[in-house]
Amino acid sequence: MSVEDHFFQPRNVGDANEPSFFGRAASMQCGAAVRVSIQIDEQHRISDAKFKAAGCGVLVSSLSMLTDRVKGLSPADAAVIAQAPLDLVENLENLSCAKLACDALVAAIQKYSDAVRHEWNGDEALICTCFCVSERVIETEIAEKKLTTVSEVIRACNAGGGCGSCHPLIQDIIDSR
Amino acid sequence: MIYLDNNATTRVAPEVAAAMQPYLAELFGNPSSAHALGRKMKEAVEKSRDQVANLIGAANSSEIVFTSCGSESDNWSIRGALATQPDKRHIITTQVEHEAVKNLCELLEQEGYEVTWLGVDAHGELDLDELRGSLRPDTALVTVMLANNETGVLFPMKEIGDIVRERSTALFHVDGVQAVGKIPINLRETNVDLFALSGHKLHAPQGIGALYVRTGVTLPPFIVGGAQEHGRRAGTSPVPNIVGLGAACELARQSDNHDEIRFLRDRLESQILSTIPNAGVNGMREGTKRLPNTSNISFEYVDGQNILAHLDKVGICVSTGSACHSSTKQSSPTLRAMNVPYTAAQGSIRFSLGRYNTLEEIDYTLGVLPGIIADLAAMSPYDKELQALFASR
Repeated sequence: MSVEDHFFQPRNVGDANEPSFFGRAASMQCGAAVRVSIQIDEQHRISDAKFKAAGCGVLVSSLSMLTDRVKGLSPADAAVIAQAPLDLVENLENLSCAKLACDALVAAIQKYSDAVRHEWNGDEALICTCFCVSERVIETEIAEKKLTTVSEVIRACNAGGGCGSCHPLIQDIIDSR
Repeated sequence: MIYLDNNATTRVAPEVAAAMQPYLAELFGNPSSAHALGRKMKEAVEKSRDQVANLIGAANSSEIVFTSCGSESDNWSIRGALATQPDKRHIITTQVEHEAVKNLCELLEQEGYEVTWLGVDAHGELDLDELRGSLRPDTALVTVMLANNETGVLFPMKEIGDIVRERSTALFHVDGVQAVGKIPINLRETNVDLFALSGHKLHAPQGIGALYVRTGVTLPPFIVGGAQEHGRRAGTSPVPNIVGLGAACELARQSDNHDEIRFLRDRLESQILSTIPNAGVNGMREGTKRLPNTSNISFEYVDGQNILAHLDKVGICVSTGSACHSSTKQSSPTLRAMNVPYTAAQGSIRFSLGRYNTLEEIDYTLGVLPGIIADLAAMSPYDKELQALFASR
């Protein structure tokens, strides 16, 4: 399907069924508003992704393509795709529209990550749900390699490299040393 | 193609093209030349001048100067009016002017002039008491448009002129670009000093405009050079375009199709309002206070650029006030000045009809529009609000 098809016959319009997680994004500059919802199955993969939007054509086609692309992926892989809005548009001018689409998807993934982290009852506290990295591993990496920023932690052990919902937690760990 | 964007520009009328044709062929001279060919050109130019004067009710054809466009007429008249009153540094205008006036006034503010920007109410109307209160001894110029390009709302030009004349020594300029050819205009019965018009809004080609300068008003030339236009505006007269403008004015004066256009606009508007729950008109609907051809409608909670693209796909041309669509990435200043909520401003569409629109075209548009809006409403994240609107019908 071409970008034009994704605008005139957008795919995945609506809201995902339970168990679903919702993310919202809006632009003060252009007045567009978006909500994205993802449904996660028992294998922790995105079984469905849907969107609702009031915004320009580039936004609509970006959301249609993005929701198609992430079906079947893990939330972590979906978050990585959402870090590359440029792949959704033909033209740099429209990057902010694609980025808004990605922001809404990331917000939905963060909701999921927060829920998983909250319900985690494993032996060690789970910090990064996208890449399944525990608090103990992050502390060890920080101590051994003398890391001082979240970016360094991501490079060292992947923690924080997905949806980003754990960044404040990683920062807390860094700050407490 | 169904063209409902006549406020953006109009098709050149066949009568206008026919009148211009000889001047694109064997009648190619320069009206300033002393030979026979030149004299023929000069005659044609002066005949056009009469035709323009007749349409807008100028007392004398010598009050008409040809320019290249409405923007030039606006820029020249405003700067010229200020140049002749150097010790007066106050200007009064409105928040809903066309960019040619608005951007110039913003520039003038940067140059040290003080500008009063009169606001409008929710219907797009001015408060004349606010105008009265703003006039000062150092007000050099009042510039107020006659018809708003987005909503079609008409400002009370005669009354405003009377107020300006009674209470000040300011000059009164009117941007009449959207009104000429759509409503009757009789400048000799008013206190308007300067009046701008543009050919391509009334079925003449782009690239020609005119400025009315009341007898007795001094306006130093903007474009300086040769003695064309009786020394008022240099530049070789674009004879084909001038002839075209004259023919277009004559056509407008003779036609009596305003009622037909108004009928089609009213049909389009009232049918939309009764069949589409989230539709609302922006601006005065009362007959005397709005152009007969314009309907600015907000489809709340959906995006105007989307609506435009869906209409475009089936060959219908309109324009939108939504932010993303504009080059400045800001939603329409006129709608903002009217306090239209952003969820409505973002979904605004301007339908502007013209001489060549038919009942079939209007009915076809009415046939496709509800489906387009319904699809976009189904996609909108404002579903609760839309449900409430659609349920209450």
